[in-house]
Amino acid sequence: MAKKPRVSVNFFAPSTDGMKAETSVAKIIIVLWFLLSYGIPTLIWLAGLSDPNGLGESFITNTRFLGFPLHYWLLAQGCTIGYLVLCKLYCILWDAKITRLRKP
Amino acid sequence: MPRRLITISLTTILLLTGSLAFGAAGEEIYQVERGFKLVPAIIMVALLCIYIGVGFLSKVSSTSGYWVAGQGVGTLGNGAAIASDWMSAASFMGVAGLLYLKGWFGLGYIIGWTGGYVLLLCLIAAQIRRFGKYTIPEFLGDRYNSHGVRLIAASVTVIIAITYSTAQFKGIGLICGWIFGMDYTASVFFAAGVVCTYMLISGMSGVTRNQQIQYVVLISAFLIPLWVLLRKAGGTGILPQIEYGHIISNLMEGQVASGQLDPEATKALKNAYLPWGKGNFYHFIALVFTLMVGTAGLPHIMIRFYTVKNEDVARRSVLWGLFFIGLLYWSSPVYAAMGQFWNPAGGKAVADVIILSAPERAGLGNAFIGYLASGALAAGLSTVAGLLIAGASAIAHDWYATVYRPDCTDRQALFIGRVFTAVLCGVVVLFALNPPALIAQIVAMAFAIAGNTIFPAVVLGIWYSRSNKYGALAGMAFGLGMTLLAMFGWMAKIPMFGEQGILPATSSALIVCPLAFLINILVSNATDNKLDEESIERGDNILRKLHNLPDPVAEDDPQEKNAFSH
Repeated sequence: MAKKPRVSVNFFAPSTDGMKAETSVAKIIIVLWFLLSYGIPTLIWLAGLSDPNGLGESFITNTRFLGFPLHYWLLAQGCTIGYLVLCKLYCILWDAKITRLRKP
Repeated sequence: MPRRLITISLTTILLLTGSLAFGAAGEEIYQVERGFKLVPAIIMVALLCIYIGVGFLSKVSSTSGYWVAGQGVGTLGNGAAIASDWMSAASFMGVAGLLYLKGWFGLGYIIGWTGGYVLLLCLIAAQIRRFGKYTIPEFLGDRYNSHGVRLIAASVTVIIAITYSTAQFKGIGLICGWIFGMDYTASVFFAAGVVCTYMLISGMSGVTRNQQIQYVVLISAFLIPLWVLLRKAGGTGILPQIEYGHIISNLMEGQVASGQLDPEATKALKNAYLPWGKGNFYHFIALVFTLMVGTAGLPHIMIRFYTVKNEDVARRSVLWGLFFIGLLYWSSPVYAAMGQFWNPAGGKAVADVIILSAPERAGLGNAFIGYLASGALAAGLSTVAGLLIAGASAIAHDWYATVYRPDCTDRQALFIGRVFTAVLCGVVVLFALNPPALIAQIVAMAFAIAGNTIFPAVVLGIWYSRSNKYGALAGMAFGLGMTLLAMFGWMAKIPMFGEQGILPATSSALIVCPLAFLINILVSNATDNKLDEESIERGDNILRKLHNLPDPVAEDDPQEKNAFSH
């Protein structure tokens, strides 16, 4: 009995044009998501390393933005707004790359 | 319908026997004003009548209606349903409570619970819609062609439903206690009666429609008191979500409603709002990561993507869902800040009722607080409804109708679904009488389970064709085992699994989830040549569906081709 060729799906090695387009969109968004979610806390952490009390006080916590301490605003509102933008960007990129691909 | 009567009476018996078993819990209830409150009671009863009324108007009789409300809900509607499912008592009361208690560190809950949607959108939403069947256990069971995987996934769904609902019941119980002046135990049973009756009667079609109404009620209830609150705190009351920034800045300098705090209290308050005052960098990242993968792995959120018309709608409804959720999360820190402003030293005992306590101290009046409380109640109710349905459908659909008795009729499966909805409700009540942690923390544990078991299995199931049933079984068993270990460790107060430990039950996924991925991949590759033809064939067919792959061989059965047509 001849073996059927197996389907090959791998997020990092997409096998068809459609999948390539989908993963490329997903990769862009995930990288941005990662930077936003973990980059900002890391930044706050790095900036606060010099605080002798170990509480992370730094120029970021001393700066005021819209009345907020900057480190507070970045997480309470900055990140969430960022995620919304990412979702919108995903829809836009999807329409540009994939919806067009599907049309004859 | 006699069967329905039997179920309802079964529930009642369960609830009554439960009431004898437990004593006092829910100390929070003594932190708010005691006694029966007429105006809030009227508002709440009116709201409940609307819910049940809508449920009656949309009774369903076929199973597919009961589980996923037919496949015809639009973008905005589905977005509102996602948000309403999401906005539980945990987001409503729990997040404000944690922010109150933990200051800046609590913000990890906000970014964790919103950022997860980006992952869900990128990796799962569109693909899972193309699969187009009912439940997550069904997806995993079919993809890996294994009843073992299906049953683990179903058990996980049930455990998540129980854990998550426990937190909701704590919230609902506290609210009912505030309104009716009942003690905590009595109000938990009262809440259970309402939830159960409503769900058994309406099924999910009613739930879906209600969820849109509930969202409107909920978000307006959450937002409107803020304007009044902020004005009382000395702001202009134009845009509370921005104005409270000054209050936070002032809090860091020790300025509260009663004036300037003494230096010691000022220092404590300032520390809470500094980044690592309440937890270190590792704990923060671990918490955020856990909540994110948990969000992307929650069965009752993923199930929402089957209820939409097509994958286009699935994608866009995530955007709307996130926006609707954002409205709430931009506002809950305001309640926490108000709580600090009026009551800086309340501590843990007041945390979970801070959204009631802060307005009470500010003298907001019972009508506003009653509306707010009814909103929180709505939040809890809608989430519990979604969860218990997901849990019961895991049992009825994935175990009873697929594994145990594949030849049963729709009616029988529906009946089993209703019975288990009631049973689950009873179990949740038992747990809710003695809640192990703060509302948001209990919910975080449910997220850890989802993130450690479902998320790796679903992502690899979609994006890695070599992943097979042995890998999935090993990965899921490991993930579930470790999470449960951490949870029991937390309850047994073992330091390693506690809030400051290496593997906190609320944040175990940073370590466990990547390992679960790794185990799945390694075991799958090691067992690649042991896999039988049928499993390969079935897995491949599903992958073709998920990724719109061309059909290589003509002999595939015609049913599969329908999947390409939308």
